[in-house]
Amino acid sequence: MTSTVRALARHEYRSALRSGVLLLLILSMVLVAAGSVAIASYDFKAQVADYQAYLAQAKASGAPVASAPQFVPLQLLRGTIEYVEIIGAVLAIGLGYLAVARERSSNTLPLILSRPVRGRDLFLGRLAGAAALVTTILAATAAIAYLVVGTVGGHWLTGTELIRLVLTFGIAILYLLIFYALGTWLSARSKVVANGLVVAVAIWLSVVLIIPQIGDTMDPDNQVPGGLFAALQVKKPDEKRVLAHFSNYERIRNGLEETSLTKHFERLTFAITGIKDKYNGKPLGTIAYAKRADIASLAVYVALLGVLMWRGLKRESATRRET
Amino acid sequence: MSTTIVVARQQLRSLARSRTFVLMLGILLVMTGLSGFIGWSSHATIIRVYDQTVQTLTAAGKAAPPNPFASKPRLSLLNNMIIYIPLIGSLLAIVIGQRSVTDDRQAGVTRVIFSRPVGRSSYFWGKLAGSAFAGVAIMIACLGLSVVGLGLINQGLPTGSELVRLALFYALSGTYLFLFVLVGMVAALLTRSESLGLFAGVAVWVLVTFATPQFTSGLRPVASLNPVNDPVATSGSPFFKVTSKAKPFAVNEQYKALSTRILTVGSRLQPATSAGQLAPIAAFLLALGAWAHLLVRRQDFSEDTARD
Repeated sequence: MTSTVRALARHEYRSALRSGVLLLLILSMVLVAAGSVAIASYDFKAQVADYQAYLAQAKASGAPVASAPQFVPLQLLRGTIEYVEIIGAVLAIGLGYLAVARERSSNTLPLILSRPVRGRDLFLGRLAGAAALVTTILAATAAIAYLVVGTVGGHWLTGTELIRLVLTFGIAILYLLIFYALGTWLSARSKVVANGLVVAVAIWLSVVLIIPQIGDTMDPDNQVPGGLFAALQVKKPDEKRVLAHFSNYERIRNGLEETSLTKHFERLTFAITGIKDKYNGKPLGTIAYAKRADIASLAVYVALLGVLMWRGLKRESATRRET
Repeated sequence: MSTTIVVARQQLRSLARSRTFVLMLGILLVMTGLSGFIGWSSHATIIRVYDQTVQTLTAAGKAAPPNPFASKPRLSLLNNMIIYIPLIGSLLAIVIGQRSVTDDRQAGVTRVIFSRPVGRSSYFWGKLAGSAFAGVAIMIACLGLSVVGLGLINQGLPTGSELVRLALFYALSGTYLFLFVLVGMVAALLTRSESLGLFAGVAVWVLVTFATPQFTSGLRPVASLNPVNDPVATSGSPFFKVTSKAKPFAVNEQYKALSTRILTVGSRLQPATSAGQLAPIAAFLLALGAWAHLLVRRQDFSEDTARD
């Protein structure tokens, strides 16, 4: 990293820190993450208590006993990951927008451009600054999640679990940087910077909330509380036989979900953390192979938004140089 | 023409010019149009899945369970609206409330307005009336789209009782959204920066839509997006026994519960229970309204335009 890139990154980071935005975002994410892991822990304890009550009844009546709920510590992070994918994304858009808005209102770009700063340095500096910001927010979130799993959940994560936690939050950094780039690109290409924010928020609404919501609603198993096949008391092999007749519908539903960047992020991180039971305890190599399509899609989005952010900043530089 | 009406008209014109408002309104109307189709598509598929399950079980010599969807009411096809209103509608409402304050501030017209004999209360009520009129117009448009959607799906217009229930649902939705108009207004009045005001409004939206249902019912954020959800059992957990006591004050959960009952049980709605579910929404509405009024009365409108 050149000294110019480092200086620009430091400027980006310090500006966010000075405005109080960084502290506000850290506080918000830490609070929702702590609450979410604590609630998931209490939820699991409630399941265990319900199971104990059921076990006593089943033993008294001599009925066959079902297996106890399995404790997978990283599954307690499900709510936190969902908060990152929903709230984290909108906060990252906000950070991208604020970086452009702040620069326009303080008029610092013409000053920077009066020095021998290349477009590439400007782009890399902004990106490095944003990465540092997002990493600070997510590191605080991961740390509080680790602490709450240990204290409320009653389990301190082991080395392997910690690696998976770090990997998950590493992917989350990339995911948030995509939205940061979206916010920067759209704000930089708008004459009125707030208009860019609005378009970015509309994209966030569609990609993060609406498309996954439609996909979830269209899932036949989501039509009954607890799942359709569980309600019909249909076993897994019969369920598979039934769903084989609806492969086209499932393909359309899945295709719709796959248009959403958020779903790729969710599928990958849920596999790594074992939230998706199918991947629970599987080696990371096996998961990476099984989730190669999601990894590739995230990589495409990273590259695409990176290019768009570059172009947005180039345009912004050209406009500001003229003015 | 009274001052209140003039302010309300100016507020409506300003909203119509706002790109943010038009974009969010467009998304809400498109999703309202689509919600009937999504409901119908999911319902038709699940019925086919059930029929296929019966065939599979019968072929294996097993007994088939009763159809859980046999008596599903026709209006329940619009269940997705119970999600889209708090999701998209609330954001739109925050934009309406926020713009009602920041548009004048940005254009620098507040100083001009108050250089004339305009009372703070008249200004406040004018802004509120303009926002309310916009809200009513949006809800009427959504109602129209829902009627058309249901007509196309069911190949016939909704019955009189269904129309009444739909009107009730959109009246409730309008009331719920007005809560967020006031959130947007208060957030904008408390902050000088337009973006910070918007973020503060969005933060309240996150708290109401995602964080509170998780606290009171253990619903994860993504589970809150599904009209059919599975709250945690509170019986075994002392934590949820305590937090579930806050459920009557969780406006989002009360809105969803009452809306579901309006769209599904209809004439069997119990007035006492419904009033109980409406009470927290009304209470927050009054409290926020009073706060916004107080802030408008105390605001220093001689300041410069909003910062970003």
